[in-house]
Order: sequence, then structure tokens, then C-alpha cells
Amino acid sequence: MASIWTVHLHASSSFPLRNCSNELQLRPEFGLDCSNCTFWSRKVKSGKFVVRAVSSDDERRLQNDAIVTQNSEKINAEKNRQLNPVAKLQESISTLPSFVFSTGKFKFGGNLTIGLCIVATILVVVVRGYAARKSRYSRPGSVADLVRRGQLRSDRRGISTPLKYEDPFNNPMVKVSQSNSTVEMCGKVYRLAPVTLTDEQQSVHQRRRSRAYQWKRPTIFLKEGESIPPDVDPDTVRWIPANHPFATTSSDIDEDLAQNNVYQKHGVPFRIQAEHEALQKKLEALQIDQKLNKLVIDPAAARDFERPLKSNMKSESQVEHRPTSDHVNNSFGNKPQSEETQNP
Amino acid sequence: MISLHPKPLPFHFFPKQPKPKTLTLRVQSLLQYNRKPQLAGDTPRVVVITSGKGGVGKTTTTANIGLSLARLGFSVVAIDADVGLRNLDLLLGLENRVNYTVVEVLNGDCRLDQALVRDKRWSNFELLCISKPRSKLPLGFGGKALIWLVDALKNREEGKPDFILIDCPAGIDAGFITAITPANEAVLVTTPDITSLRDADRVTGLLECDGIRDIKMIVNRVRTDMIKGEDMMSVLDVQEMLGLPLLGVIPDDPEVIRSTNRGYPLVLNKPPALAGLAFEQAAWRLVEQDSMKAVMMEEEPKKRGFFSFFGG
Ligand SMILES: Nc1ncnc2c1ncn2[C@@H]1O[C@H](COP(=O)(O)OP(=O)(O)OP(=O)(O)O)[C@@H](O)[C@H]1O
Ligand SMILES: [Mg+2]
Repeated sequence: MASIWTVHLHASSSFPLRNCSNELQLRPEFGLDCSNCTFWSRKVKSGKFVVRAVSSDDERRLQNDAIVTQNSEKINAEKNRQLNPVAKLQESISTLPSFVFSTGKFKFGGNLTIGLCIVATILVVVVRGYAARKSRYSRPGSVADLVRRGQLRSDRRGISTPLKYEDPFNNPMVKVSQSNSTVEMCGKVYRLAPVTLTDEQQSVHQRRRSRAYQWKRPTIFLKEGESIPPDVDPDTVRWIPANHPFATTSSDIDEDLAQNNVYQKHGVPFRIQAEHEALQKKLEALQIDQKLNKLVIDPAAARDFERPLKSNMKSESQVEHRPTSDHVNNSFGNKPQSEETQNP
Repeated sequence: MISLHPKPLPFHFFPKQPKPKTLTLRVQSLLQYNRKPQLAGDTPRVVVITSGKGGVGKTTTTANIGLSLARLGFSVVAIDADVGLRNLDLLLGLENRVNYTVVEVLNGDCRLDQALVRDKRWSNFELLCISKPRSKLPLGFGGKALIWLVDALKNREEGKPDFILIDCPAGIDAGFITAITPANEAVLVTTPDITSLRDADRVTGLLECDGIRDIKMIVNRVRTDMIKGEDMMSVLDVQEMLGLPLLGVIPDDPEVIRSTNRGYPLVLNKPPALAGLAFEQAAWRLVEQDSMKAVMMEEEPKKRGFFSFFGG
């Protein structure tokens, strides 16, 4: 849509068609929401553009427009000759003054002519700049060609905004003509041809295929060299090369277990649970081991265990004096005692 | 790309208007149904997306149709059954969120709901990968595992999904067999060239042998300009060779590659790309178990003039 619009813009502002760079600048102003834009709002904006781009002075505008048009025609002609851009620029600038003077002389005075000349020169430089930039993208076969062919829209290049359809059921990008013979999508018109496949043709094809391909979906996978189990139809065996990169015929996991794993809805996954439990057991065993070792080997630890014993004995001697502390001390004292009894 | 509805729905919105006053009324939006597509068939619909030949666009199709369906309001689980060369997660831009796969579920390293990756853009879309690139899938119950998965999804607490799409690997090897095992219907992706068509015919034959009768095709990477120059088979030529109903015709669109790079499926692009629109319509037809009644043939030169202001 945008490209079509561009054509109209250029037609109204009488810019040469090749100078498409303006199109890129204009887009943000127009916004890309094609469904909401109306023809009239665009028209107004295009008017603004002409005024802004050329000059605010109404009298000069016509003049400038004429000059720009003529200059650009020249430029285009030059461009066709495929000169080096810098040389082209110099050439066009050098040819400019005489041209402008000749148009300026019969309407304006000297100052005005010089002013006009400067304005025109600036314009030419800008236009040349655009043209040079444009030509950089237009080597054959580049992405720019896809844009030109309408395969690609330049405004969609790079990051297009993600589409969160508020209303996916209303798509203004697809339009069918009333006669149902053409369809318009993304600004291009396509002819519609009816599908002629009949149910009968379809079944003819099905019969052909059922004759051509006879197949049973393999239900068992065996590695090359393995023997077929007795109750298995050899047609349904799939032979897997022994060095298959991502498939293995053996599994270290039980089938029923795997099925249960898939069906599990809550709780800790089976293997995590199993591993956790195994780890827990190991840890407990380790802890007991360590404690035993400590009691046997470490004399400091042994002393540690002695101390509560001593204090226990002490507290027992203190029982008569301080009955309140009895419970506390007992609760401390019982443990080492019991462990001591375990000690071989 | 367009199916003309048997009953031309769009035109109901302007009942008996003798002469449209403005020109806008002469062209109407095809998808302006203002309704949700009617879900046909029993849910979950288990659809395998397959092709035989590699690189014809199965994964692209799965990603785009999957997200289209999600956007149309259906809950979708896409299963990447491409064991060795999985890339659906990349296309969807979810590659960093795949922590667990079906292999881990089978092993009991995680539960099924932990292996499902929920898309943040459309929360009714979930991705499930079969395995990590370097882990080995025990083939003994690859197909069975998928049947269990479908079963488990059917019975899950948050409700069964409407669609389970299975992205099938290329070829007719173990991966293919695994992928088609739980499916009731198939989408055959093909390109309009003879190599891809021969594989497609073979795969269709195998699917039919396996009892999958509902097979529709998507013709991908169609270039209308080449068809016009007789350099490429037209979609109708393809249909004549395979005898399958058409679910969609996807133009060759450079946006596909760009969207792959971004991990942002085409159908989410705004403004929509041509291929995105085509995928969207294919998804619509999939929901309604409809097929195309007319195909786009060639580009007509666009009429200049007042019309072009309303052109999409
Ligand atoms: N309509 C299209 N227009 C342009 N490029 C496309 C289109 N469809 C697919 N491609 C490109 O083709 C390539 C392969 O696509 P994709 O990965 O979807 O194929 P596949 O069938 O899943 O491959 P495989 O068999 O390896 O799984 C991708 O690079 C993708 O960008
Ligand atoms: Mg793939």
C-alpha cells in the first residue's frame, strides 16, 4: 500500500519517480496502519510535505518546483550513464549556475537569483545524496530488488512490530472482489482459479497409492544383528544401525515405569524421588559411620562425649540442691549415655 | 491461498445492497467473518505435519499454524518430534526455555507439565521437545511414548488441548514412525518441485497404510511469478499429481527467513506478510476441516487510480 501511495505522492509533487528516498522518510508520518488511514488524511499530509520540502514562500515555490524538476531530470539522465557519484555531483553543480541564471534573469533581480542559486544548489546536493544512498542498495540481486519487485516492503525490513491481534477475525489485508474472480493481498491482485479436484479423483489417487505402497508401521526396533523375538511379525521390525546418532534400541528404563512417569501429575518426579531417597540413605549411613569413627578414633570427640557425662554426673549430684534444673540436665544427659552404650 | 467459502459469508454483511455508494464497499475483507472458526472433530485433534523430503517447511508450518491457532483462541501443544535436529524451539524463540524434554519425562527426571514450555506471547500455546540434541531416545517405545503423552495431555487437570501438532522429522525413518503413531490426521507439506512431490506421494501412501485418512496438503514456497513463466508447477498441477485436498498455499516469502532469525513466527508480524496471511488462513481451514476451493494463480497488474488507495 505504501508503495502505491508513494507513486501518487510523486505524481502530485512532480518529483522524479526514481527519487524514492522520500518515501522512507514519509512513512513514519503516515503511520503504517493501513486499515485506519483514509485517503483524505494522507492527502493533507502530502500537502504539508511539499510546502516543507521546498520553501515556505508561495511565490518561490512554483519556481523552485520547476527548477527541481528540471534539475532532477538532468540528474536522472546522468545517472543512467553510470558515472562515479562524486564526478556526477561535481558535474551537476558546475552546470547549475548558468541554468539557474537563465531562468532567474527574466523575473528576479541579481540578489534573488543568487539566493535561488544557493537554494537550488543545496537541493541538488540533497537530492544527489539521496540518489547516491539509493544506488548503493540497488546492486542487482540485493534485497532492494525484492523491495522493488514488491516481494518485500522496505518498511518491514529489520524489526517489524510484533502483532498482537486484538481481532484476528477481521483482516483488512485480504480482499476478494465481488465477482470472486480476483483477490487482493498485501496490495497485489491475484487471479483466483477454482480447485477442480473431485472426490472421485481423490479416491483414484488413494487406490493408486495403496497399490504402490504396502507398508506396516514398525512396532519394534532392533539393532542390526539382534535376533527377532519369536512372537513378532518380521514386517513390523525396524532395523536401526548400531551407530545411529540419536536413537538407541536398548533402554535402561522399564516401560511401565516410563508410562507412569508420563502420567504423573503431582509430586516429585520418580527419579528425583528415587535419587533423593538413595542420597538420604547414603547420607544417613555416612553420618552414622562418621559418628562411630569419631567415637573410636578422635580423642577430642571422645572427650566431648565425656563432658556431658561428667556434667550429668555433676548434675545428678546437684539434684538434691537444685531440683528445678533436673529436667534440663536429664534431657542433655540421656543422649550421650545411650550412645555410650552403643559404643563397642 | 484463498478458499472461497461455499457460502460466501463476507457478503452477508451487506445484504441486498443494490449499488454500493462508495467504492470501499466493492472490495471486502475475506476474513471478516467476525466469528471464531468452528472447531470440527474431536479434541484433542492430533495432527502430524510431515513431508518426506527435508527442508520444505514442516517446522515453519508447525510454528506458524500453531501460533495462528493459539491466536484464534484454541489451546495448542506443539511437539517437536525431530529428535536429532530439533529446531522448532528456535523458530518460536523458545530455545532458552527448554529445560526438560520427553526423554527426561520418561526417565522420571521431571513431570510432563514441567517439560511443557508455555509461550509468553500466547499462553495457550505450549511447546514440548522430544529430546535434547545430544541425548538418545530409546526407540523401543518412541511411538508408545507419544501415545502416552497424548493420553496424559487429554487427562490433564487444566483441560485437554484442542490441538496437538507434531512436527515430524524428514525421511521415513524411526523418527517419522514415532511422530505419526499418535496422529489422526496429517498435514503434508510439499514444494512445487518433482523431488519433493515424489517423497510426498510416498509419505502419503505410508500414512494411508497406517490408517491416517485425513490428509491435506500445504504447498509451500510457491512463486507466482515463476508459475506465470511456466518455470514452476502451479498449485493445481501439484494437486493433479497428488490428488490431495489443499489446506493452504504459502508463497515464497523472504520474511520467513527473517522471522526465523528473530524467533518470531511470521503470523505475529504486523503488518502481516503474505506468507503469514496464507498460514493464518490455512490454520482457519484446519480448524474447520475445510479445504481450499480456489487458489491464487498469478499476479494481475494492479489497477491504478482511485482503487489503489484502498489497496492492502
Ligand atoms: N514460504 C517460504 N518462503 C521462504 N523460505 C521458506 C519458506 N518456507 C520455508 N522456508 C525456509 O526453508 C528452510 C527450511 O524450513 P524448515 O526448517 O521449516 O523445513 P523443515 O521441513 O522443517 O526442515 P527439516 O526437514 O530439516 O526439519 C528455512 O530456512 C526456512 O526459512
Ligand atoms: Mg524441521
